[in-house]
Amino acid sequence: MDFWSEIFMALRRNKLRTILTGFAISWGIFMLIILLSVGNGLKNGVNTNFADRAKNTYTIWSSETELPYKGHKANRWITLTDKDIEYLENHLYHVDEVSPVFTKGGMLIFSDKSKSVQVEGVRPIYKNIQGIKIMEGRFINDNDMKTKAKVVVIDKTTAELVKDKIISDKEQENPVKARKTKRYKNDDISILGQLVMINDINFTIIGVFEGQMWGNMGQCYAPFSTMQLIYNENNRYYQLSFTTKGLETKEDNENFSKELKRNMALLHEFSPDDQRGVWIDSQMLNALETNKIFNTINIFIWVIGIAMLISGVVGVTNIMRITVKERTVEIGIRKALGAKPRSILMSIVMEALIITTVFGYAGMFVGMGLMEVINKIMETVNAGKGANEAAVFLNLSVDIKIVFMATLVLIISGVIAGLAPAWKAVNVKPVEAMSNRS
Amino acid sequence: MIKLEGINKTYFGAQPLHVLKGIDLNVGEGELVSIMGASGSGKSTLLNILGILDNYDDGSYYLAGKLVKNLSENQAAEYRNKMIGFIFQSFNLIPFKTAVENVALPLYYQGVPRKKRNMMAMEYLDRFGLKDWAGHYPNELSGGQKQRVSIARALVTSPKIILADEPTGALDSKTSIEVMKILHEVNASGITMIIVTHERGIANLTNKIVHLKDGIIENIEENNSQIVDFEREVK
Repeated sequence: MDFWSEIFMALRRNKLRTILTGFAISWGIFMLIILLSVGNGLKNGVNTNFADRAKNTYTIWSSETELPYKGHKANRWITLTDKDIEYLENHLYHVDEVSPVFTKGGMLIFSDKSKSVQVEGVRPIYKNIQGIKIMEGRFINDNDMKTKAKVVVIDKTTAELVKDKIISDKEQENPVKARKTKRYKNDDISILGQLVMINDINFTIIGVFEGQMWGNMGQCYAPFSTMQLIYNENNRYYQLSFTTKGLETKEDNENFSKELKRNMALLHEFSPDDQRGVWIDSQMLNALETNKIFNTINIFIWVIGIAMLISGVVGVTNIMRITVKERTVEIGIRKALGAKPRSILMSIVMEALIITTVFGYAGMFVGMGLMEVINKIMETVNAGKGANEAAVFLNLSVDIKIVFMATLVLIISGVIAGLAPAWKAVNVKPVEAMSNRS
Repeated sequence: MIKLEGINKTYFGAQPLHVLKGIDLNVGEGELVSIMGASGSGKSTLLNILGILDNYDDGSYYLAGKLVKNLSENQAAEYRNKMIGFIFQSFNLIPFKTAVENVALPLYYQGVPRKKRNMMAMEYLDRFGLKDWAGHYPNELSGGQKQRVSIARALVTSPKIILADEPTGALDSKTSIEVMKILHEVNASGITMIIVTHERGIANLTNKIVHLKDGIIENIEENNSQIVDFEREVK
């Protein structure tokens, strides 16, 4: 107990020294946290834009050929048809479920409100392929497909348009109630089951999904079979998406991509060497590519972090050496008065330990606190945005274990740094120590 | 109390320096002895050996009947703590401790509880008229006060001997007289005291003057005058 109060007194009476040493450590840890958090935030931010999509999906886009082949001229447009769907489903082992995407632009009308929308005719599996998040109701199901139901899933913004119209209608109907309750609450109104007119055809709203198109366009999903029935007599598609099975590795996917391209070339009679003809896009290969970038960023961040930690260690070492040197006289006096070497060594080491621990963890908590505050602010800012609007940074966070380890490294190095000169000082003769009046 | 037999000490530097060349000395209990010599005569080295702050190469040193030779650091620390009180020319007070804390420090190393050691330290400060200054830091004290604090610190463990290295070296004559009077009182209470000095006046105030020259004792002068005239001796 007395030992500790001696140490705390020494720390209190040498405030400047204590604070300078402590600040070096706090600052090192603080900066490390900021660095790692921002790195993680960047990663989280970009990852959310992919995270919900299934990894085992492919999309084929129709395109123009680049090379002439077998009597066909170059710049021929390759169209995807039911034949391609049939081929994908029945002839390629790795293909699991296919959803063609038939896109049609149009005007959505609800009562006296209207909005231009893009309707995509898709199969139920498309929800997984695209990572569509349903907020209300449901997505298209097999029964809709079978019955060619005129149902539609609309985006959040379009849904709000419909909802606002319903509310203002109700308020006009019943002004007294509206005045009493100020306003019909958004939550009380469900738009599910409402009829909207898209290109003069009535569709029933069955679901609302999160996210929106870029710009002011609305986005809707309808059953593929329905859309095919209404618009697409020729069965020509611009886009085919499908899920795969049994493609685990990068090599699997690369090989499959090549095989697919070769087969499409054969099917549509374009050169297998043609860079174009059809575009093939593998979600997994995209993700791997993204990961590669992030690994590089990660390595970069770690290199900087470790460099920072090293400079912290050097700083702490330096301060410790100076501190002990500065205290040589004091050590000499204490020795003359009968202090045992162990007692002196212990007090120096414990002082170093206390300073580094207290300030190290202080820096840690300040850093983590700041990150939390920034997160809260960003949450508020991001709340107004749609999901498809990419947030560059999301959820700045840092692995607490890593921070603890980094702090521990600083603490240990601080103690070791103090130990060596302290050992030297302790072993110096008291006379020499006391005459050391530099 | 102190018995030195053929003490030899050489410093091994770039050029070996034979500082003490066979010192034989006896100091009885309660004696007040001064060691005089020009600088380089080896008097500081001798004091360091007496204070177990330094070791010696040859010979033997008995302190209160115990042979002090080849002690471990811990033993040396314990001997210093229990048997020897130091008074330095430059006071060597710890700057960030108050007067009372400085005086109590040797007791801390004996494991005396805080309350008790501060009480004991206060007693000694009181004895030297520094009670009111107990809470002051060394840089708030005058030279004479500082030296009195360090005398209190030397006495607080009730040591067998007091070793004083130029105790008045940094003081003016008025405070020097004060300090010497205190040291006389301390000695009168029965504590053996050795004062290293190069001032004849200070030496004249001791019972025995050991003249050191080039690492050997030139002669030992007995000084048995009963009347001690501080004012005449200290100028």
